[in-house]
Amino acid sequence: MPAFSIAPVLVYVLRRLVTTIPVLIAATFFTFILVDMAGDPLLELRFATPPVPDATIKAREEFLYLDRPTLERYWLWLTGIGDTRGDIGILQGKWGPSTQGAMDIGQEISERFMITLRLVGAATVFSLSLAVITGVISAVKQYSVVDNVLTFFGFLALAMPVFWLAALIKEAGIWANQNLGTNFATIGATSPLYYRMEGWDKFMDVVLHLVLPTLTLMLTGYAAISRYQRASMLEVLNSDYIRLARAKGLPNRVVMRRHALRTALIPVVTLAALTVSGALTGAVITETVFRWRGLGTFLTQAIAEYDAFAVMAFLVLAGVLVVLANLVADLLYGVLDPRIRYD
Amino acid sequence: MTMVTDPWPDTDLLLKVEDLTVEFPTDDGVVQAVRGVSYELRRGEILGIVGESGSGKSVSSLAVMGLLPKTAKISGSAKLQGRELLGLSDNELSKIRGNKIAMIFQDPLTSLNPVYTIGYQLSEAVLAHRDVTKKEAWDRAVELLDIVGIPNPETRANQYPHELSGGMRQRVVIAIAMANDPDVIIADEPTTALDVTVQAQVLEALRAAQQETGAAMVLITHDLGVVAGTVDRVCVMYAGKLVEQGTVDQVFYAPRMPYTLGLLGSLPRLDANRAHRLTPIVGTPPSLVNLPQGCPFSPRCPIVQQICIEQEPDLFPVGVDGQFAACHFHERLIGAKPVDLFPPVNIDEELVASFEAAAQAAEAELQGTEGTHEENL
Repeated sequence: MPAFSIAPVLVYVLRRLVTTIPVLIAATFFTFILVDMAGDPLLELRFATPPVPDATIKAREEFLYLDRPTLERYWLWLTGIGDTRGDIGILQGKWGPSTQGAMDIGQEISERFMITLRLVGAATVFSLSLAVITGVISAVKQYSVVDNVLTFFGFLALAMPVFWLAALIKEAGIWANQNLGTNFATIGATSPLYYRMEGWDKFMDVVLHLVLPTLTLMLTGYAAISRYQRASMLEVLNSDYIRLARAKGLPNRVVMRRHALRTALIPVVTLAALTVSGALTGAVITETVFRWRGLGTFLTQAIAEYDAFAVMAFLVLAGVLVVLANLVADLLYGVLDPRIRYD
Repeated sequence: MTMVTDPWPDTDLLLKVEDLTVEFPTDDGVVQAVRGVSYELRRGEILGIVGESGSGKSVSSLAVMGLLPKTAKISGSAKLQGRELLGLSDNELSKIRGNKIAMIFQDPLTSLNPVYTIGYQLSEAVLAHRDVTKKEAWDRAVELLDIVGIPNPETRANQYPHELSGGMRQRVVIAIAMANDPDVIIADEPTTALDVTVQAQVLEALRAAQQETGAAMVLITHDLGVVAGTVDRVCVMYAGKLVEQGTVDQVFYAPRMPYTLGLLGSLPRLDANRAHRLTPIVGTPPSLVNLPQGCPFSPRCPIVQQICIEQEPDLFPVGVDGQFAACHFHERLIGAKPVDLFPPVNIDEELVASFEAAAQAAEAELQGTEGTHEENL
């Protein structure tokens, strides 16, 4: 078997991680400027009736570091080095003060992240596996009835905006609950009584809440990947090495699995990494429709409240996730395709 | 009805293709890629099939292998040692492919799967038909690489296709073809995609493969030079049909079909004198959709008559034993040379004359300098 050494891979990973640092800094900087330009979080306070005392407004400004210039605020948010109360500085693991009362951004976002992870994780796993399976079927049975039906639904899902698809699926869920006696939950990630449940009930509660939003998010990601898998598989099926594999006398199923699918999966892996970022975007809307207290509503709420540090917290988390997903994809690429070398 | 067992008394006869036709339905009409091809292949023999692109050379052999897409409509017969191949299920065929009958393809750069090692792809071929362990199959793979002339076979077996040159990869494909000592090897333009300097090495590997396995070979090519140096018998294909068949000597020195003459006339020759001029065949091969009746070569034929346009000639036995030609006027072509039929390249006579004058002058000068050289010695 070919010699494989781990050292170049480690160097590659390190180099990739180092190169993402400027990307993340630039992204956070521009987002910070944009959020800052969006409006004054204390506007309501300033024009409240009856008027709020100036001292209160000043105290709020100091609390949110609004008494500093924008650039200094960004610097403080990033490093926490300077005149602070010790509650800011992302590099020190401090998320900064929130405009939303006494909310601790770090604690809030990690709770909500776990909820969203459930949704994004389930949706990604299902959409990927379904897309690979139907993409392969479509390619092998090109232009058959099955292929045409799958193509139709693929494009339908691709063309449908997430909010509309989510609303339709929610409606369908309600209809099923009323007419078919199903028990899909249409609001929230868990029941209000979740904390009092035990074992199996707890699990079923989570599953029933997951079904409809997962379906929504899954379909939006599924459409693109299945088309991609179909195209990739078709290309491989028409390749010379498939013909040679058949000429060797390998049974058809071995040719399909070992030579066609194995090679056709390589380009799809890249796309799969991109779906993670797509799923995060989709989750924002899906969670809003299904009233999940996840990252999505965290972001929309933060934007509505001009909560700059909360928006930044979301961005950093999403950015790191996307960067990691891409890194994993690139590493997988190297495992799947021997022509890739890490140097 | 009683089962009729096909008599197959001739044990030397390996592959018998009879009246093979292949059609592809397309939106523009039915493409008649192969229109009734028959040939026989005997033990130890190398049969060359020549013809220009689109003449149906590759399609006819892919049909025998059962490697055509499902849309292809195949009829006729192809018997391997008495067993009919056409109409067998893909599963049954897969037991014959790579085992009794193997194939080598044109483009070595794309013929190997980029994600598996050479050794894996070779031992896979061995394991497909033999009940051996993976270790034994790997050893056989290394041995095969050695036979086709790949240096350091142990190291090479562990490498991926992209680490090998085109010529080496084609030798790997040849090694795959000979993995299970097949009775028949079909080589579809094995040297076409390769550098001229590598072609000889690959032909050498092919010869080694044939000697090692004792297989008969069908060599498909458009390179008449390769045919002349390698094969025993030649079939010339045009527009999906055989138009001439015979031994190399018969076809090369006494062709009886205008197309063959035209092919030979457009071949540059080192043994002819300098004044030898190429005689191209004007025009292009006919579209294989809606072929008109009559001889398909008639629009390009210099000796075309009314009968050629009305009636397509069969393969007539001509001349000495074993030569066939599909021409109504094959008797007229006895002893014909390409220049008798086809006009030489239509370029400015003066230009040619000036080149020839320059060449003569250069030659004279060369002889002059040689002369002085000798004098100095």
